[in-house]
Amino acid sequence: MRSQYVLNFLLGLYIFIFFSYLFGPLIIMSITAFNSAEFPSITPWECFSWRWFNEGKIAYDGQHLAGLATDWRLRDGLIKSLMIGIGVVILSVPIGMAASIVLTQVHSRLRTIFYSISIMPVLFPGVIIGISTVVLWDRIATIGGEGFVADLGRNGIFLTILGQTCFISTYCFLIFVARLQRFDQTQEEAALDLGASQTQVFFKILIPYLMPAIASSAVIAFLASFENYNTTVFSILSDQTLTTVIASKVRLGISPAISALALVIIILTVTAAIIYEFLRRREDRRKKEKQDQLIYEETKDSRLKIESKKKFRMPKSIYVILFTLILSFFLFNQLIKKGLYGSECVIAAETEKKSKFSDQLKLLQQNADSLDDKSLEGGELGGNKDYGDIFGDSNLFKDFGGFDTKEDD
Amino acid sequence: MNYFFNKNGPLISTYFIIAIVFWLIFLIIIPQLYMLDLSFRPNLPPLLRGGSDDVHTLVHYKHFIFGSESSDDTYNYVDIGVFFNTIFTAVLVTIINLCFCYPIAFYMAKMANPNTSRLLIVSLIIPFWINELLRSFALRILFAGEGVINNILVGSGLIDSGINFIAMDIALYTGLTYAYILLMIFPLYNALESLDTNQLEAAKDLGSSTFRTHWRIVIPHAKAGIASGCTMVFMLTAGALATPVVLSSPNTYWFTQLIYQWFNMNDNWSRGSAYSILLLSVSVVFVLLMMRVFKVKIGEIIR
Repeated sequence: MRSQYVLNFLLGLYIFIFFSYLFGPLIIMSITAFNSAEFPSITPWECFSWRWFNEGKIAYDGQHLAGLATDWRLRDGLIKSLMIGIGVVILSVPIGMAASIVLTQVHSRLRTIFYSISIMPVLFPGVIIGISTVVLWDRIATIGGEGFVADLGRNGIFLTILGQTCFISTYCFLIFVARLQRFDQTQEEAALDLGASQTQVFFKILIPYLMPAIASSAVIAFLASFENYNTTVFSILSDQTLTTVIASKVRLGISPAISALALVIIILTVTAAIIYEFLRRREDRRKKEKQDQLIYEETKDSRLKIESKKKFRMPKSIYVILFTLILSFFLFNQLIKKGLYGSECVIAAETEKKSKFSDQLKLLQQNADSLDDKSLEGGELGGNKDYGDIFGDSNLFKDFGGFDTKEDD
Repeated sequence: MNYFFNKNGPLISTYFIIAIVFWLIFLIIIPQLYMLDLSFRPNLPPLLRGGSDDVHTLVHYKHFIFGSESSDDTYNYVDIGVFFNTIFTAVLVTIINLCFCYPIAFYMAKMANPNTSRLLIVSLIIPFWINELLRSFALRILFAGEGVINNILVGSGLIDSGINFIAMDIALYTGLTYAYILLMIFPLYNALESLDTNQLEAAKDLGSSTFRTHWRIVIPHAKAGIASGCTMVFMLTAGALATPVVLSSPNTYWFTQLIYQWFNMNDNWSRGSAYSILLLSVSVVFVLLMMRVFKVKIGEIIR
C-alpha cells in the first residue's frame, strides 16, 4: 500500500512537471510583456507598464520599438491574415463536404485510392505545399502572358489561399467523414420515397444534419489558416501576413511587443476555450434534464423529479477566479508601494539608462580627447600646427608609447 | 457515372465534381507533379524556359550529393550533413515525445476521473492554438544569452557566466519537442481510451506486473495511436520551419531552411524543388515504414 502512495505521488509530480513545461514558457512570456525594459525579461525588472500594448518606445539610443497599437505592419498583416482565413474557409469547407459525401457513395478499390489521395496533404510538409503552389502558378502566369491570369498567378494572397486550402480541406474532410459515419441513410430514402427531389434531400436533410460539422470545420479551417507559417512564407510572395510579420520581427531582434501580442492571443484562446467548455457543459446538463424529464413522465417516479431540481451549487471555478483576483490585487499593490508602477518609475529608469549611456559616451569622448592631447604633447612633431597631418604620418602611432609619455615629461 | 448523377441530382452532382476535381487534381496532384518535373530541369531565366536548353537533367540532385563543381570536396558534406542531422533529430524528438506523452495519455485515458481528464484535455488544447512562432519566441526568452534561465542561474551563483543555449542547439531541440508534443498526446489518448479497463484488472488479478501489463496489453492495443502520433510528430518536426527560424543558432541549419535559401535568397527554384522532393521522399518512406512496423493502414494513421 505504501508503494502505491509513492507511485501516485510520483505520477502527480510528473503531471505537474509536464504541465509546467507546457505552460511555464507562455506564462513567463506573458509577464515580460509588462516589463518596460527593451529586452523581454523578468529578472532585471524595470517597471510595470502597458507601453508595449500602446505606443512602444523610442530607446535611449534612438532605436524605435513599436508597440502593439501603433505597429502598422502588424495591422496590415492582421488584415491580410483575416482575408486569407475567410477565403480558405469559403473554399475548404465545401470541398471537404463534397469529398466526404462522395466517399460514402464510391466503393472498394476506388474508395481506397480516393481516401488515400485526400489525406495525403496532411502528410506533406507544409513547406512543400507552398513551394509547389508557387512554382505551378508562376508557370501558369508565364504562359498566360499579360493580363488577368498573370496577375492572379503572382498574387500572394490568392496563392496562399490555394496553398492552404490544399491541406486544410483535408482537416474539413476528416471532420465531415467522422460525422457522416453516424448518418442514418434511411432518412434520405424515406424523403425520396415521399417524393422529394435529390436537391431537396441535400438541402433539407443532409445539410441540417451536417450543420455542426460545418461549424466546427469552419472554425478549425480559420484557425489553421490564421496560424500557418510554413506554407504561407513561400506562397505569400511579397505580401505579409500576421505570421510572416511576427517571424521577421522575431528574426530581427526580440522585442517585448511580441510578448504583448502573444498575451493578447493567449487571452483570446483561453476565453474561447472557457466559453466552449461552458457551452458544452450546459448542453450536457440540458440533455440530462430532458432525459430525466422523459423518464419521469413515463414512470411518474417522483424521486427523479426531485433530483433534477437540485439547489444552486457554487461552481468550484469561482474559488480559482477569486483567488486569482485577490492575488493580482495584492501584487499590484506591492508594485505601487515599491514605486515600480506608473510614469515616474518609467521616467526614472529612462533617465538612469540615458545617463549611463551618456556616461559611456562621455568616457569614450574623454579617452579620445586625452589620447589626442597626449599625443600632441608628447609626440615628436609637437605643436598644433601639425595637427592636420596626424593621420597622414604613419610613424606617429608606432612610436606612441601610450600614456607613459606624460610621466616622462 | 449515371448512377452518381441519378443519386445526387444534376445540381449537386456538378458541385461535387467541380469541388473534388479542383481539389484533388489542381491543388494536390498537379502542383506536386510539376514540382517533381521542375526539380529535373536546369535553373533558367524565364525567357529561356521551354527552349532548347530546357532539358531534363540530374544536376540538382548531383549538387546535393557531390557539391558544386568549384568546391574541392568529393561530397557535399554540408548539405548531406544538414539532411541527416534533420532526420536524426526528428527521430530523436519523436522518441522523446512518445516517452513523455505515454504516461500522461495513459493517466488521462484510464486513471483520472472523466471531469479531470476533460479539464486536462482543454488545457492541453490551449497552448496548441497559440502560434508556433510565438511558442518558440517564449522559449527564446527563456534561453537567450541574457534570458530568464541564464539570469536565474547566474543570479543564484550556480554558474559564473551565461550558458549559450542557442549555440549549443539545446534551445532548438527543446523548441521542437515543445512544438508538436500535443500531436503525440491526442492519438495516444484516443487509442488508450478505447482499451477495456477490465483487461487491465484481469491482468492485475492474474499477477502481472505493471510493466508487463503495459508491454503485453496496453502498448499492443495502442499501436495505431502510437503509429499515428509518431508519424505526425516526425513529419512536422522534419518539415518545421518556424521553430528553427526562431531558435536555431546561426551555424546550424535545418533542412527546410536550406530549401528556403535556395528558393528565396538564391532564386534557384529548380534546386529548391529538388531539395523539397528529397524531403518529401523522406516523409513518404517514414510513413511506409510506420505502416509496415506497426501493421496499420494509412487510414488508421490519420484520423
